[in-house]
Amino acid sequence: MSGSKGVSAFKHYRILLAKDLRQEFRSKEMLSSMGIYSILVLIVFGATLAQTSAKVDIVQMSSGLIWALLIFTSLLGLNRSFAHEKEDAALEGLLLVPMDRSVIYLAKATANLLFLVVVELIVAPLFYVFFLSGSELSITLPLVVWPLLAGTAGIAGIGTLLATIAINTRGRDVLLALLFIPLAFPLLYACVSATTVAVVGGAAIDFAYVPALALAMGYDIVMLLVSWLLYDYVVSA
Amino acid sequence: MKEQRIGWGQRLDKIMTPMFIAGVLFCVVAFVLSFTLAPLVLGAQVDTPALIGGQMVTNKLLLSQKIFYFHMPVAVVSMASLLFTAVYGALFLRSRKRKHDIRAKVATEIALVFVLMTMVSGELWERFEWGVWWTWEPRLTTYFILMLLVIGYFILRNAVGDPERRATYAAVFGIIAFIDVPICFLITRLVPSGVHPVVFRTDSGLAPNMLVPLLIAMLGFCCIAFALYRYRLRTELLLARTEEIKEQLELEGA
Amino acid sequence: MDPILAEIYSTVFQAAPYVIGAYVLMWLVLAVFVVISVNGLKRTEKQLAALEEAVNELAGKQQ
Repeated sequence: MSGSKGVSAFKHYRILLAKDLRQEFRSKEMLSSMGIYSILVLIVFGATLAQTSAKVDIVQMSSGLIWALLIFTSLLGLNRSFAHEKEDAALEGLLLVPMDRSVIYLAKATANLLFLVVVELIVAPLFYVFFLSGSELSITLPLVVWPLLAGTAGIAGIGTLLATIAINTRGRDVLLALLFIPLAFPLLYACVSATTVAVVGGAAIDFAYVPALALAMGYDIVMLLVSWLLYDYVVSA
Repeated sequence: MKEQRIGWGQRLDKIMTPMFIAGVLFCVVAFVLSFTLAPLVLGAQVDTPALIGGQMVTNKLLLSQKIFYFHMPVAVVSMASLLFTAVYGALFLRSRKRKHDIRAKVATEIALVFVLMTMVSGELWERFEWGVWWTWEPRLTTYFILMLLVIGYFILRNAVGDPERRATYAAVFGIIAFIDVPICFLITRLVPSGVHPVVFRTDSGLAPNMLVPLLIAMLGFCCIAFALYRYRLRTELLLARTEEIKEQLELEGA
Repeated sequence: MDPILAEIYSTVFQAAPYVIGAYVLMWLVLAVFVVISVNGLKRTEKQLAALEEAVNELAGKQQ
């Protein structure tokens, strides 16, 4: 790469992001593992909910179930997103390039976000088929897109930072989960609320949807900013 | 051998124990006052009023609220300790000096102790007031998350081998954890549930009589927390010193 | 007891064990931490004193 001093941060970002996406496109390793995992979780949900009586409103529970699924799947994905970096010591090589190290964070986080979105696109219709095909869904259903996006962005954002920390410790996966879940709890809470409201519909849309979504986005902004600022320290350690 | 002790450190260490005793005394005073000075809080309404001590009382009088006089100061102290963790973490990231990391770690220990005290008192209060062992209400949930974060901090520290890396990771996590707690509280408080209404605890306002034992307890626990912080800090600094001396002995070929 | 007064104070008796329990447990947690930290301090001070003695001996031998 000629004249890397003159390369802007945005170009670095694009190059890194393209590298991650290309790698994934070739091997399809992460997407396939995340996809299979989420389908398996759906099957587990099926078994665990099979005995509930018809009176239980599956529509109300559905957003909670989907978010649980997303959290577990993203933990898997986040762990793996740094796995080959660590194996091939690619991260050290990356650190040799003179650039703003927070760009690495943005590129990784965006890649993780995109992978999660792809998984969501696969899982959501499957979820509908498995659990919701018998129920009546409200017309506000398309509104679930925004909380899903906001939540996934937050998960990818804070998760990428934590994965960078956890990859260098003993007990990687468990530590990531231990650190991630309490931090992501508020985000999860807000997003489940907004998604539930969108799925169930009714009068609640007027007063419950926007505040919950706004709070989720507030979380995203704060956490992404903090992660972006602190990433340099983490990756240089 | 270099004398590392700074004047400030020695002065603060001298008042460690008196501070602790003072703190305990303050808390005892607050305890007595909370039962004698502060009035019992009003509970559910009673059908017919009665005359008690020259005043008309129309509600049941609650004793369980007395837990509050210790519960709140302890909760505030735990949050303050976590603030110190975040601040020392940030200072470490800037300066890379080990002393900041040591202080961050001790502050987090204090935070853990006080969080446990908060959880214990809150749990029992909860059990009595609502008759259940747990509800997902804003304060309890936020404190539970805080407890998990502080425990996670220590597990993280244990899981990293290299001291410099450990300090860096701990500092970053401490800062993020400190930012997360108010967010958690805000979100659990403000997110309206579209499906079930959230039951908000109706806390009565603070009468001036209540303020006195509360503030004294707050002062007492601050003193206790500070004294414990200095105790633990002294231990950690001495441990660091013993490590140094051991290394020196090895070098000089003991 | 006057039935109205009994009703007003009805929750007090049931609450008492919880209040006492809460206070006791809180101070127990604190006491455990105090004991641990004071013991740790004493142990570390002893260790340090022993080590300093060893160093002084060495310095004495070398001279």
